[in-house]
Amino acid sequence: MEDTPAVQINHLIKEFASPFRKSKVKAVDDVSLKIMPGEVYGLIGPNGSGKSTTMKALLGLLAPTSGSCYVFGKNSLKTDSRQEIGFLPENPYFYKHLSGEETLKFYARLCGLRGKLLKTRIDEMLEMVSLEDARKRRIGGYSKGMLQRIGLAQALIHEPRLVILDEPTAGVDPVGSRQIRDLIVSLKKRGVTVFLCSHLLEQVQEVCDHVGIIFKGKLVKEGSLEDLISIEDQTEIVVRNASDRTLARIRAVIADSENAEFLHMGKPRTTLERLFLEEARLSDAAGNKKGDKDA
Amino acid sequence: MQQEIRKETKMRKNGIFSPSRILVIASHTFTQLVRMKVFYFLAVFAMLMLVASYFEMPWSRTTEDSAEQELIILKSTAMGAMAMFSVLFAIAATALLIPKDLEDRTLYTILSKPVPRFDYLLGKLIGVLLLVGSSLLLMDILLSFILHSRTDALITAEMERGAARGWQQEYLDLRKEEISQQGLTWDLQAGIGAIFFKAMIMASIALLISTFSSSTLFTIVIAVVIYFIGHFTADARNYWLQNQGAGVSTQVKLLSQGASLIFPDFQLYNIIDAAIEGKKIAANIFQRLALLTFFYTGIYSVLAWFTFRKKEF
Repeated sequence: MEDTPAVQINHLIKEFASPFRKSKVKAVDDVSLKIMPGEVYGLIGPNGSGKSTTMKALLGLLAPTSGSCYVFGKNSLKTDSRQEIGFLPENPYFYKHLSGEETLKFYARLCGLRGKLLKTRIDEMLEMVSLEDARKRRIGGYSKGMLQRIGLAQALIHEPRLVILDEPTAGVDPVGSRQIRDLIVSLKKRGVTVFLCSHLLEQVQEVCDHVGIIFKGKLVKEGSLEDLISIEDQTEIVVRNASDRTLARIRAVIADSENAEFLHMGKPRTTLERLFLEEARLSDAAGNKKGDKDA
Repeated sequence: MQQEIRKETKMRKNGIFSPSRILVIASHTFTQLVRMKVFYFLAVFAMLMLVASYFEMPWSRTTEDSAEQELIILKSTAMGAMAMFSVLFAIAATALLIPKDLEDRTLYTILSKPVPRFDYLLGKLIGVLLLVGSSLLLMDILLSFILHSRTDALITAEMERGAARGWQQEYLDLRKEEISQQGLTWDLQAGIGAIFFKAMIMASIALLISTFSSSTLFTIVIAVVIYFIGHFTADARNYWLQNQGAGVSTQVKLLSQGASLIFPDFQLYNIIDAAIEGKKIAANIFQRLALLTFFYTGIYSVLAWFTFRKKEF
């Protein structure tokens, strides 16, 4: 594995002048973090906690008041550092007068892609985000989910090694949201480093292997997801088709054990999101079946 | 594929100035402006003015040199419209583009790619100038066509009138030459070139203001004010220096010359009036004007980059 961190933020402080106060507002307060290549890192925190400011500093859109940011060893204030970055901003709006295909072409050409490679790459990206049918349609007519997906395609058009996603599923319906999460998972499999900012904790938990919690500009907790969320002194057992007798025996065994204490037993629950996705899938399949019969 | 892309993109150095990247931004800006229908409307309006001036002409035939007067009125109307539209295009389009990119957050997606800020600014400026240049070219073609056909028609009419009055051939030739001088000439094209130069300077001024201004309206108002001041700076400076007499220090003289950098001297572009009046314009004057224009545009573009390079979003 590569030794150079994909992202290295050293004691980042960012202050903004406040028009009505003498003192400056500290949006990011001494944040340091390191993301190794191939990791999916989630920065979570409430609105206004400094997530987007940290990302902007990493993208060179903001200059740190003090501290530094590096992308694959290159200072984020240098243009070259952005050769390796793909960025999807929160609620992205693209040029409404361009079609999906023209949008990707514009961003690809900015990254230096030309000729046959450019064309192939655009086709691949449109296929990846399932927008082949809308490739000639103007962006102005795209839905929120489609905008988010074309945003993701433009972020990945030049095959970056680091992808920065700011609230990638904000305002997207559950199906679109699932597609975006699947894409993040596929990026992870391909070894792409993902830096994700979100306040939707469940999503972060699903895709990230490292998490940082930022609150009022300070990184209050950081580490691998497993380490952070596992409760060390408890064990979960999930059993299928167990009879009442079996369950009673399990409880009896625990009761007989030294130090062990029985805490809870019940049926595990699915999430409302999983239920929705399953129902949507079944309805879709039933619709297709009916269509085939009619044909 | 991955390696191929890496090779393709990494081979390109991200220096401060990349002609291919500037061209991408410029061509996109041009497309963006063309697809804003307001520009079509203005182009149609300009054409209507040209056609209107064509239809007005028969009523102005009152004096001996009425043929020339007709052509001067036609040129004056057309070039006045061209000057007005090119400056308005240049200021409004430039003032609109950067704040719009920022408001729509498209600027984030562009600057998060390996795009130096100077390339972005220059691309936007060139895109606007491409549009202004194309619009002027279209208007020029239309004017040239009308002017050529009107000149031919007026010469024919004048020759018939002269023949009926029994004018000598020498006088007929002189009249033909006089009328032709007010028709389609290279001097006229130089005048139209000067209109483009003025628009070029105004676009770069609007670009500079928009890098620190927080509103499009502010940018447009300040740019228009500078445009008007630019027509009086030379007179004001000369008047002031004359009033001060011999007691003007070198520092004050330098200061007044410095002021002429902030407010460009648009009186130097008076060859537009000379072109309308059918006067000869020397090639070296046009060349010097072109150099001056590139100097002004360069200065304003570099200043725009200075304010934009550290701007935070």
